Amino acid sequence: MTTATAVEKREGKVRPEPTRGGRIYSPNVDILENREELLLLADVPGARPEDINIQYENGELTIHARVDSRTEVGEAQFLACEYGVGDFHRSFQLGESIDNSKIHAKVKDGVLTVHLPKTEAVKPRKIAVKTA
Amino acid sequence: MNLIPWRTKQSDGGQTLETGLSRLRGEMDDLFERFLRYPVDLAMPAAFRALGPRLDLAESDNEVIVKVELPGIDPKDVEINVVGNVLTLRGEKKQDRQERGRDFHFVERQYGSFHRSVPLPTTVDSDKVSAEYKGGVLTITLPKHPGAKPKRIPVRTQ
Repeated sequence: MTTATAVEKREGKVRPEPTRGGRIYSPNVDILENREELLLLADVPGARPEDINIQYENGELTIHARVDSRTEVGEAQFLACEYGVGDFHRSFQLGESIDNSKIHAKVKDGVLTVHLPKTEAVKPRKIAVKTA
Repeated sequence: MNLIPWRTKQSDGGQTLETGLSRLRGEMDDLFERFLRYPVDLAMPAAFRALGPRLDLAESDNEVIVKVELPGIDPKDVEINVVGNVLTLRGEKKQDRQERGRDFHFVERQYGSFHRSVPLPTTVDSDKVSAEYKGGVLTITLPKHPGAKPKRIPVRTQ
């Protein structure tokens, strides 16, 4: 039973203006739904909690996590650099069914969890049938 | 366009075509970026890069540092072994309890076990290897074996 929608915001003119150098990465996400809420999980390894910025406006959820780019460790030389290091950014259009005053988020072990509770109006309700 | 959620977990089948293509493009961009910035990365055998989690390997005079991106893993589920010149990482990322029994809109994060062996550039002191897990990044510090440290030999003139 789904009452909410989650659609990736198209890239294009709304692309954020980078205010500093470095690449911007799109984090891998899971978006799950149950009766009460949408749950978003995003992999943001290396991001500190204070550097994660979540905004919800007009049904659009934007996640931005600032990650300092790869720093040279003293005199160490890199022999392999297989993953990219940089900011994470991604937006989703979530529709009108989210109660924006109750959104809360936490980050643990590089995984950002955003709880997006649904408004009472769209929660499925069971109606008791009484006998006359 | 709305996505229809599905219950059983499958591969990335839930993405729209546009999303899939733009992600592919992003990955290609990353590949070129990495090649231009760190050409040594692609000099490694393809099979070595393709398997397991991606990592950084850095070497200084005294130690070898390995960093691995492993978001959302329980450190207890990671096993690190050093045998000779080979570092082996093994572990499993388990699905969270709160993720079960829900409908899926997007499933991109990966679960399951991983295994990766990395040849180290020098001999390391396997008794002094330490590892730290912070913010989804595992950092392994491998001090070099005393015999493998560079020694500066002064040249004397008479």
